[in-house]
Amino acid sequence: MTMRAISQNKSISHLKKGEVATITGYVSNEVPLKVYEMGLLPGVVFTVKQQLPFNGPICIGIEGNPNFVALRKTEADLILIESLS
Amino acid sequence: MTELKIALVGNPNVGKSTLFNKLTGLRQKAGNYPGVTIEKKTGNFTHQGIKYHLIDLPGAYGIHPSSVDEEVVYQVLVDETNPNHPDLVVVVGDPFNLKRAVLLYQQIREMGLPAIFVANMLDEAERAGVAIDVGKLEKALSTKVILTDARSNKGIEALKDALQFEPTTYTASFPIPDEYSSAIQQVKERTGERNDYLAWLYLSQKHNRHLDPAVSAEISTIREAHHINYHRLQVQETMARHTMLDTHFTNVVKDPAKKRENFTERLDKLLIHSFWGYIIFFALLLLIFQAIYSWSGPFMDAIDSAFAWLAASASGWFPPGPINGLLTDGIIAGIGGIVIFIPQIAMLFIFISLMEESGYMSRVVYLMDRWLKPFGLSGKSAVPLMSGAACAIPAVMSARTIENDKERLITILVTPFMTCSARLPIYIVIIGLVIPQDRFLGLELQGLVLFGMYALGVLAALGSAWVLKQLMKTNYKSFLIMEMPTYKYPVIRNVLLNVWDKTMGFVVGAGKIILAISVILWVLGSFGVSERFNNAEELVRVENPGISDEAFDNEVQSQKLEYSLLGTLGRFIEPAIEPLGYDWKMGIGLIASFAAREVFVSTMATVYSLGGTDDELTIRERMASEINPNTGRPSYNFASGISLLLFYAFAMQCMSTIAIVRKETNSWRWTVIQLAFMTGFAYFAALLAYQFLK
Repeated sequence: MTMRAISQNKSISHLKKGEVATITGYVSNEVPLKVYEMGLLPGVVFTVKQQLPFNGPICIGIEGNPNFVALRKTEADLILIESLS
Repeated sequence: MTELKIALVGNPNVGKSTLFNKLTGLRQKAGNYPGVTIEKKTGNFTHQGIKYHLIDLPGAYGIHPSSVDEEVVYQVLVDETNPNHPDLVVVVGDPFNLKRAVLLYQQIREMGLPAIFVANMLDEAERAGVAIDVGKLEKALSTKVILTDARSNKGIEALKDALQFEPTTYTASFPIPDEYSSAIQQVKERTGERNDYLAWLYLSQKHNRHLDPAVSAEISTIREAHHINYHRLQVQETMARHTMLDTHFTNVVKDPAKKRENFTERLDKLLIHSFWGYIIFFALLLLIFQAIYSWSGPFMDAIDSAFAWLAASASGWFPPGPINGLLTDGIIAGIGGIVIFIPQIAMLFIFISLMEESGYMSRVVYLMDRWLKPFGLSGKSAVPLMSGAACAIPAVMSARTIENDKERLITILVTPFMTCSARLPIYIVIIGLVIPQDRFLGLELQGLVLFGMYALGVLAALGSAWVLKQLMKTNYKSFLIMEMPTYKYPVIRNVLLNVWDKTMGFVVGAGKIILAISVILWVLGSFGVSERFNNAEELVRVENPGISDEAFDNEVQSQKLEYSLLGTLGRFIEPAIEPLGYDWKMGIGLIASFAAREVFVSTMATVYSLGGTDDELTIRERMASEINPNTGRPSYNFASGISLLLFYAFAMQCMSTIAIVRKETNSWRWTVIQLAFMTGFAYFAALLAYQFLK
């Protein structure tokens, strides 16, 4: 199975609070397994709920999941997105 | 009666422990898995004439482990010789994230294990309008599916009934990619394994601890020969399964997916706010410390007087002599020294369990991650560091959720710098002796110094973490990806069971050591080999003619101590501690409190021939009037007092912590490095302070 072609270079960390986006792919193959396990998979739609100042972790809400997911900026950089808002 | 072993497996935050507590009630105990200190919870119950032994495995998102915690799940399930290997697996999921739990279920079935499926948190799902088609799900999983709500007791009986279910054969839903077939074939030949998926798992794991090391090495060779990266296999499998679930699993869960501006979202606007979130967190910390110190006070006083009364009445049971002394000064005083910490430890765990149960703890991790990362720690280190303010032992154990090896090791190594409750009695006594009762900027000076000692602990922990970060190398990338579950009302039963487990763990674990040390101390202090010990009465009478009876008794006692085995030990280390401003009597305290810091005050009480710590004022008075025979100045002056405070702030004076660090790091090297670093640092800090201030 191949990963979806990287069509653009926008990652989760480019988004602002309240923005909605969908995941299109990943920057490298070295993305932690947890990313996939948490359901951050291509096609998934999510909203940025909050980001802490000084490049702190980002909190996102995946559509249909009442639990939020927190990730560091370094992980957010690895996940490519397409903005929907 | 037949006994069946059942393993409870599931994603984190699906209410698995509530389910476990509902099934087993109070017939449960906490223990450790062989070789690792991952907390293992087991319990028993009987249903329809069958005895069930239930094992609660740590939460995991899939079979591939990314932390020590999750590795236990893999090991227990893959290794048929593991004593916890189950006869049936119960996979628990929640309706909102059913696919994730199904993924884990598929992996377990494909490993060849029989399993049934539970969707928990039914009430919350119903409120949100989420419905599960049980018939379809049972067909898709080819097993029994039970809907439960552990909080409201729904479905528990149905689940018990279902434990006798024997699932039919299962067809693999993950076709192993053809490109790996020759590697899989080789693994199967070497291991004798017939199951393709198990061979795939062996190939995709970094560690296969249950296999013979030679076989494990051969698997690594196969991997290298085929240029296989185990991480990539794990990712490939997880993504393939998710994709398949997305296509084949559409009609099982009905989710209106309406916009849910829920309670959690509203609460989080405040609790993880980039300013108010921190204010609330620190206010909560302040409340916890306040509670630990003031609310537990009356309980501690009551325990203290109960043991004083017990010792007093026990001294009447036997005639004066060695047995009487062993019972009252050794055993009862020793047990009292353990029990006295129960209120503080229980109080801390009430708060920690409430924070975990409600879902707030993951917010703490989220808030603190940015500020702990520069020190080589993770947001998840916040929990061990906070718990370290009560006791390093449970704190070190709580570091096991940290995925990254380096961050976990650093957390374990620096947590003992945090000011634990055992340091508190020493701080209070010494500060009371050497810091004047003045006010500074309207605040009590003594209180400020005490606060300063806490700040010093945090600084030492963060500072040494930073140093370790520079020195240590790691092959693993540090990451933080964490689920922040919706807020829930804590289940009081879960909180109480957890507090009970943790408190009893302390009482039994640390208690054994404190009790042993008390008895050893008593023996060393009560026997001696020299003439001055064995003939003390006669020699004192000759050297002090006309001495009063009371003074005579005191003199005999202190001379006996000086020439007892314990006194000899104290005088032996005196040259090393003299530059720190201590005399041989304080040396005894230092040696004795190597076992546990809290022993210091009671030892000093014994040493200054007071016989007990019941009356704090008299110990203080006695300590205040004690003269250091080397300098001719009070033993507890400003310089030696500060030196002593610094020594106890930094030194690893706790055998139980050493034991737990050895267990958790599985390395004597790191344990010894930590001990040497902490005690060496403490020695030099105390030396500098005394030499500057004297």
